[in-house]
Amino acid sequence: MPGLADPLERDPVLATDRDDAALGDRLLGYVWQPPRRAWWAMFLLSASGVGLLGIAAVYTFGWGVGTWGVQIPVAWAFAITEFVWWIGIGHAGTLISAILLLFLQRWRTSINRFAETMTLFAVMCAGMFPVLHLGRPWFAYWLIPYPATMRVWPQFRSALVWDMFAVSTYFTVSLLFWYLGLVPDLAALRDASQRRWQRIAYGILALGWRGSARHWRHHRSAYLLLAGLATPLVVSVHTVVSMDFAISLVPGWHSTIFPPYFVAGAVFSGFALVATLIIPARRFLRLGEVITLRHLDNMCKVMLVMGWVVAYAYLVETFLAFYGGDRVEMQLAVDRVRGHYAVATWATVFCNVVVPQAFWSSRVRRSPIAVWIASILINVGMYLERYVIIVASLAHDFVPSAWRPFAPTWVDVSLYVGTLGFFFMMFLLAIKLLPIVPLTEIREMRHEVARAPELGVLAGSTEVSR
Amino acid sequence: MRRWIVAEFAAPETSLEAARRLRASGLTGLDLHSPFPIEGSDEALGLRPSPIPGAVLCGGLIGAGFGYWLQWFCNAHDFPINVGGRPLQSAPAFVPIVFELGVLFGSAAAFFGMFVAARLPRLHHPVFEADGFRSASVDRFWLSASLGPGDDPEHVRARLADLGALRVEIVPEENP
Repeated sequence: MPGLADPLERDPVLATDRDDAALGDRLLGYVWQPPRRAWWAMFLLSASGVGLLGIAAVYTFGWGVGTWGVQIPVAWAFAITEFVWWIGIGHAGTLISAILLLFLQRWRTSINRFAETMTLFAVMCAGMFPVLHLGRPWFAYWLIPYPATMRVWPQFRSALVWDMFAVSTYFTVSLLFWYLGLVPDLAALRDASQRRWQRIAYGILALGWRGSARHWRHHRSAYLLLAGLATPLVVSVHTVVSMDFAISLVPGWHSTIFPPYFVAGAVFSGFALVATLIIPARRFLRLGEVITLRHLDNMCKVMLVMGWVVAYAYLVETFLAFYGGDRVEMQLAVDRVRGHYAVATWATVFCNVVVPQAFWSSRVRRSPIAVWIASILINVGMYLERYVIIVASLAHDFVPSAWRPFAPTWVDVSLYVGTLGFFFMMFLLAIKLLPIVPLTEIREMRHEVARAPELGVLAGSTEVSR
Repeated sequence: MRRWIVAEFAAPETSLEAARRLRASGLTGLDLHSPFPIEGSDEALGLRPSPIPGAVLCGGLIGAGFGYWLQWFCNAHDFPINVGGRPLQSAPAFVPIVFELGVLFGSAAAFFGMFVAARLPRLHHPVFEADGFRSASVDRFWLSASLGPGDDPEHVRARLADLGALRVEIVPEENP
């Protein structure tokens, strides 16, 4: 069986017997086909979500954040939960494309474009919430240090300013990394195009890439260095996000475990969303030969590990509340599991700790439908986790007279549903217009294995038909 | 008028070998075109190491230095605000932005440096005029050379055919 089979693994990384040209036709073919009815249905559904987002955003801008469920003390609620959730989802993209590249994990190749594309759109969604939440969104640019006539500068000791720098750097670097990897594939698309306007459009996007040895050596070097820079960046971004909470004094937030806890949660939810998207995409675009059960299997293993890291964080958080001996912290720890938000807390534990245990079974890991359902539950669990951290802590502050439960309004819900619509709309456009599987890297991987049989243990069978 | 000669090969090894031979015989302006990077092409063409790592290091250091200067200038120099007696130049609180700006500038240096070093974007190039050059992004390996007035195109064509080229074409630099 040609392809990349590891003798220790049941499923190969690449299960195709096509040659390079046929593989290209297969992986780029859907770009030339007119969209199918199912695509239009999903597109219209998600576009109507964008409409809802527009309505809710205009309403928020016109009437202020008082239209949301936020109050004092719960001044951060849905919007910040969603900000953290979306940013976290983005992190799996960088993890798959950068960290796994540095660790020479070949299986990343087929799914890295999916994950990177997801990162970009998730960070766009995340970026909307702090601006919407400002109350006076037209002053958002005050966060940028520009020489204003008022001579007022941002306060750089504030975690919120760090956040602005971290998230905008993260978006920019993700975009550059994504586009750099995309250029050779856009050139492949340009050369495969049949119509003149397609050739011109993809030709412009490919920036005149000729696949020259002079291009490749700079490309390789830049790509590897960007991966090296993105790796610490992804850790720093969620660390900074967690510092928004950790450097405050609110009970349940003021904790040094937050940075690693948030980074692990980010990777966990990000892998879950990659699985949620890739399983239907693999089926609809018939990508089974490049995204095999091996990929699902590996992603589940990562989710299982991250699920345990998150479980450990829950445990340590609760333990420290009592070990620290602070009365308010202890009250909060009890309130989380028995109070107003107990349902959300226990649902979090179920989705994030109990559900991933199913991944111990290799039958579950290799069943797309089971993985898909579990990944959706993990996404829900990670949403609830942030909701509990943010809302339950704020609603149960130091002064009992201020305690007040939070209830979202239709605007809160519409903004969330709206960003989901935006995310899926952008994603549908991307899988229709761009090479969503990195063809160049797959060809390189096949070629490497064909030429270097000593890699056999790592990547398996050496018979690649040419 | 300058001319370009392009030759198609079926396998990367043959194109590499052809490049090595032609370079040894004194032909300059050689290049290889392939759907993915070929191991050994830098040596075969005698290319110097890429300047990108140096650019990234400079970019990263400039970004980090700028980040620290920016925060010092804004919060300690131009508009100092005393917050509970905390030091105006609070270095630990400046670390995240120093790091972020270092990464941002370093990444920008990698990305834009790559395009400057590769002389891109350049939407048109004479090699695109060759018939079938499209396969350079699919499954074929092309060699190109720019010929000076002293080079005999027919001689190079014959040599390329000997070295295993599937087809050889000559394209003029300027096109009507």
